[in-house]
Order: sequence, then C-alpha cells, then structure tokens
Amino acid sequence: MLTELLQGIEAGGFLVIQDSCSYSGRHLLKSFINAALNRAEVVHVLGFDVSEEELKDGLRTSDTQRLHIHSAYTDPLGWTERPAFTVHQFRLEDLTDLVKQTPHPKPATLIIDSLSWILRHVTPPAVCKTLHQLRKGGAVRAVIGLLHADMHQRGTVGSVCHLATSLIAVAPGAKGDEAVAKITKRSKFRKVMQDEEIFSLNGDFTVTIHSKRSNPEQNWNDAEEEQVDPTAELTFNLRLSDSELEAKKKLMLPFVFSKEKKKALLHSGPGSGRILYEPDANDDYDQEDPDDDLDV
Amino acid sequence: MAAPLSSVSKTSAERLPFNTTSFQKKTRSKLISIPGTRPSVQNGQLLVSTGVTSLDYLLGGGLAVGTVLLIEEDRYDSYSRMILKYFLAEGVVCQHELFVAAAQDNPDDIIQELPAPILDDVAIHKPVEQPRLPCEPPDNLDAMNIAWRYQNLPKVQSALASSSRFGHYYDVSKTMEPEIRQAAKFHRFYLPEHLAQPSTTHSPMLESYSALLKSLQEVIHKEGFDLAAPMSKSRNILRVGLHSLGSTLWGDDLSCHDNPKHRHALTTFLYGLRALMRSSLSVAVVTVPSHLIQDRALMGSITRLCDNAIALESFKGSERETNPLYKDYHGLLHVHQVPHLNCLASQLPDHKDLAFKLKRKQFSIERLHLPPDLSETVSRVSRGELAGATSACGSGTSGTKHLDF
Repeated sequence: MLTELLQGIEAGGFLVIQDSCSYSGRHLLKSFINAALNRAEVVHVLGFDVSEEELKDGLRTSDTQRLHIHSAYTDPLGWTERPAFTVHQFRLEDLTDLVKQTPHPKPATLIIDSLSWILRHVTPPAVCKTLHQLRKGGAVRAVIGLLHADMHQRGTVGSVCHLATSLIAVAPGAKGDEAVAKITKRSKFRKVMQDEEIFSLNGDFTVTIHSKRSNPEQNWNDAEEEQVDPTAELTFNLRLSDSELEAKKKLMLPFVFSKEKKKALLHSGPGSGRILYEPDANDDYDQEDPDDDLDV
Repeated sequence: MAAPLSSVSKTSAERLPFNTTSFQKKTRSKLISIPGTRPSVQNGQLLVSTGVTSLDYLLGGGLAVGTVLLIEEDRYDSYSRMILKYFLAEGVVCQHELFVAAAQDNPDDIIQELPAPILDDVAIHKPVEQPRLPCEPPDNLDAMNIAWRYQNLPKVQSALASSSRFGHYYDVSKTMEPEIRQAAKFHRFYLPEHLAQPSTTHSPMLESYSALLKSLQEVIHKEGFDLAAPMSKSRNILRVGLHSLGSTLWGDDLSCHDNPKHRHALTTFLYGLRALMRSSLSVAVVTVPSHLIQDRALMGSITRLCDNAIALESFKGSERETNPLYKDYHGLLHVHQVPHLNCLASQLPDHKDLAFKLKRKQFSIERLHLPPDLSETVSRVSRGELAGATSACGSGTSGTKHLDF
C-alpha cells in the first residue's frame, strides 16, 4: 500500500506520517516530495524543523519552478522585522495566498515539516480547523504532514490523526536500515484498510518494499470461510447418485397439494383462520381473586 | 382444512394487516398517537425506534421521546456513523423531521448516504397478486416444498429482536431513493457556515456549542415541537443527530489535552440539550469520540448527563481482530447507561457481553458466548462417557477408553 500512496494521494486527502525519536520520518517525507515532483506537480513545503539546505538535500532541485520551500526555520515566531514565514501564518487565508502567489494550472500539494512544531505554538483545535478547511477548499490538492508522536499528548496525536485520510506510522525495523510502516487508509465509503510493510530507503529517496504483512480488507459482505467437509471421511455413504436424486425429486410427499390449492390456501391465509372473539364475563379474570368470592 | 368463504375472506383480508390478530384491545388512550411511535410496555413512555431493532431491544423497547442517546465512537468512526444514519433513515421512513449537525462533514452528505429501507420486508397480502419476499426467486411456491405454508412469512431474525414490528430494516449497500428522502423535512447545522463572532459574554460553553443550541431551540420553537405549544391535531417528532461532539473541529480541546481548558463546555451543552429535549417532542442521538478523551472522570460525567449511553469498540486495527473468539463479529458493544424515567430502578439488559455485526441488511447485536470446549486436552474424569459419546461420531480414534464401538 505504500507504493500506491507514493504514486498519488487522492484529491482532498490528508496524509500524516507519524514518527518517533527512534526513527525519523523525514526521509519518507522527502521520498513523497520526490514522487510528487516526478509527477510534475507543484509542491509547497513549509519547513519548521530543519533548515532549507537540509531539506533540499537529496531532492530533485532541477525543477525549481515547481518546488517552493517556505522556510520558517530562521524566524518562526516573527521576531525580526521581515520573517520569511511564521507559525502564525498557518491559517487558511495566509496559506491560500501563499499558494496562489505562484500561479500554476494544477493545484498544489502542501507538505508540512512538521506539524509538531505548529502544534506547540498554535492550539490543536485551531490547527485541526485549518487542516480541515485546507482539505475542503480548493487551493491545495493534498496535504502531507509529519508528526512526531512522542512530542505530544495522546489526545492531540489522536485528534490530528482522526482527521487524516491516511496514516503511516514508522518505526525502526529489525535489521539495520529497514523500517516498519503501519499504514491505515480510510477510503471514501468508510472502508478502513490496514497494512504493515517493511521498507528501506535508497540514496535518492526511493522506497524499496521488502516484505508485506497485509491484513484482509474489511468487507461489508460476510467473508467466505472455508468449511471443512464433514462428509469426507465417513464409513457410510451420504451422497446421492444421479438416479437416486431423480427418484428423490419425483417422490410424492404426503400432504402435498397441487399448485392451485396451495395458492388458494396461501392467499386466504389470514382470512380463513380468523377468530372472532368478544370478551365475555368469564374473561374478567382477577389474579388476586380467582374464585371471585372475596368480599373486598 | 375447510375451504374459506371467498366473500368474507376477501374483505377481511384487505382490512387486516398480516401480523395482527383480530384481538382488539379496548383502549381509550390518552397518549397522542404519532406515526412511528408506540408506548412502552414497561413504563408507558412514548418510544421511538432507533432504526436498529436489536438496539431497540437493548434500550428497553426503543428510545423514549425526550431523551438523549450517547454513542461513544469506535476508532475510525465507521459504526457509530452507521448507527446515526440508521437513526436518521428511520426518521425519514416514519415521516419525522430531522435536524442534523456536524462539524466535519456537510450534513447534506450525511443525508445523501442514508441506507435504503427494505419496505416490502413485511409481506402485505394483496388479494390479486402474489406476495413476494425481497430475496426469493420468482416462483415462490416451488421454493419450499414441505413448509410452503410459511412461504409468505417474513424472515424474522432471532437475534435480540422483539416480536412486534416497530423498526424497519435497511439495506446498507444501497442509498435511499431521492423521492423518499425529499419527502422528509430536514434542518441542518454545518459549523463552518456559522462562523461565530467572538462572544463578549464569558460563558462556560463554547461559541460553537451555543450557536448549535440556539439553532436547535429556534427550530423546535418555530416548527411547533414545544410541549408548551397548544396541542394541535397533528404532532410530529423531531429527530436530532449530532455528529462527533467534543472533537477538535467543534473548537473543543477536550480530546486534545489531558487537562482541557474548556472542561465544562461539552457538559454544559449536554445539560442544555437535555433540558431542550425534555420540554419538546424530540429525541437526540449524540456521538462523541471517547477514545480521544483522556480524562476518564470527564467521560463519566458526560455519560451521566445523557440518558442512554452505549460504546462501540471495533476490532479493526486492534489485536483482537485475529482472536478466533471474535471472528464472526465486527466489534463489541458496551451499554454504559440505561435511563430511569419516572421510576426508581432501570431495566438493565441481562446480557453484558454483547458483540455487533454489520450485515448488509441488518445491524445485529448478539450475546457473545464462548463456544463449548470440546478439545481432548480438557480433563473430564467424571464425564468420561459423555465425552466419548460426542467424539466417537467424529474422529473416533482418539476417544476415551471407556467406550468401544
């Protein structure tokens, strides 16, 4: 499922990469940026955690017209006179203006590195509201955010991930450069698909999947189960040969009526068995006085 | 097997619906009769169906008018949303009015997704044409050879359903037809459209919740659901569905922080909601993402403020998914609170271990029971013969030494 996500997120999607201090999700984020650039999409990156040079390292910087990095690393809180981008600009109006500054026919993908930084300075309800508005509005096509799960309370992480349409939780794998990704994807019709894959990143930030451990998809219909055939190893014969089947079908059961009589009986079903009842004096049955002789 | 008199039977068959007998109870009921409601057999309250017949059974026959049902959402909000949709679809089928409020999805989208009712599930006798069951092949009479007299009875499920037909069944693979949907009157509240100005008064409730409460109060008053309004001939019920209260999109930080700043916002709102419900002919269903709320004491007070409370726990994504005990079900259902309306003690459900399963035509809630342990390793010294008898028919060879065929 990781390769499908890399190939493209559906419009209006919000992907959260959840990492921890034991394994950084920034490289996976960069592979998403590369994949988006390869698809000739416009990418806007909000950089809070690391500097611009470090972000650009390893990315395909040949198409600078399509990759726009708004670095808030040097001055995130706007202490100097002219900050490049501040954390307080993380609002719908400012972000829409930012994206519209560089006009391009295709809607852009917004990458946020990282959401944790924003959550430290802006209240979680406001952040969630902005993310929700970004998804519903038309300015950006998809939003990908990096979230450091160990930096926040469980409720905050849960609330942000609750809004996400796809969630990738990365953790270090058994071997050296491998990592385990637990992917949860919510599709449009409320189906939830989960997958667990082991992957590793190459030098140019492409992803190699090593193995998959996939769970079956959740279906609305009941899943077919393999039934053990109970007639397999018996000492007596439970099956019918063809001639026996025919004979069975031809057998006239007792109390079998012709089709017309069945229809007649069925149609007048409720009518024929009707009981017309008027409650009479004997029905005034008093539980406490069954013989009706108490003088109360 | 006397042949019926055709003249008598035809007229009387048309008059009577199929599933009632001719025993007519003499009632001079003082209760107002509103379509889609019935009085409770336990305490005489007016009940309304939730849309899920098994849930009706658990709640003591249905939802009492004037109460609030709290549904604690499962992790991915799939099943709680489904129950909310069942509730609203039942309102459409019973011709009640609907009020839907949401912060995340547009209420119009929720209404578009309502499941289609299975309307011909009850076999209504038409003297001219042959009655059809929805999933049977056209030639009915050949389908059942021996039990053909039961041909036209509806296929009643035995899992926790009461005998009289109060609720309806819905097919979740289809959405409700636009004609049925548009026949219902529906009021909506979509939070992003009600961008409130910052309130000057310092109230414990958030602006989003006050706006919602005000809007609901206006609807109740304007449309005449108030009990204080003069009793006109036709009254109707208002079904209120509030999706995901307490989540961050309502502006509440209840689900974000362990020590939320707006501690009393949701509880104040629920208090006001319950007061509104009690004074009008309406029923409310509220879903809350309780898995995000870390403060258990606060969750407890939220539960106490609602009359009915159930919690859904879906197996998706948890380690219970692979547990063979749970393989037939989609999740567990916990009943946290049942109402005691006008009585001292409430009717608790006798089975506490409940599991639910969403099938295409039914949301069934069943008692979870352990299958009998027939493994050979269980030591049954005193019941050796019994064990031998059951396993001899099956695999036989490793049976007990007491029996030898």
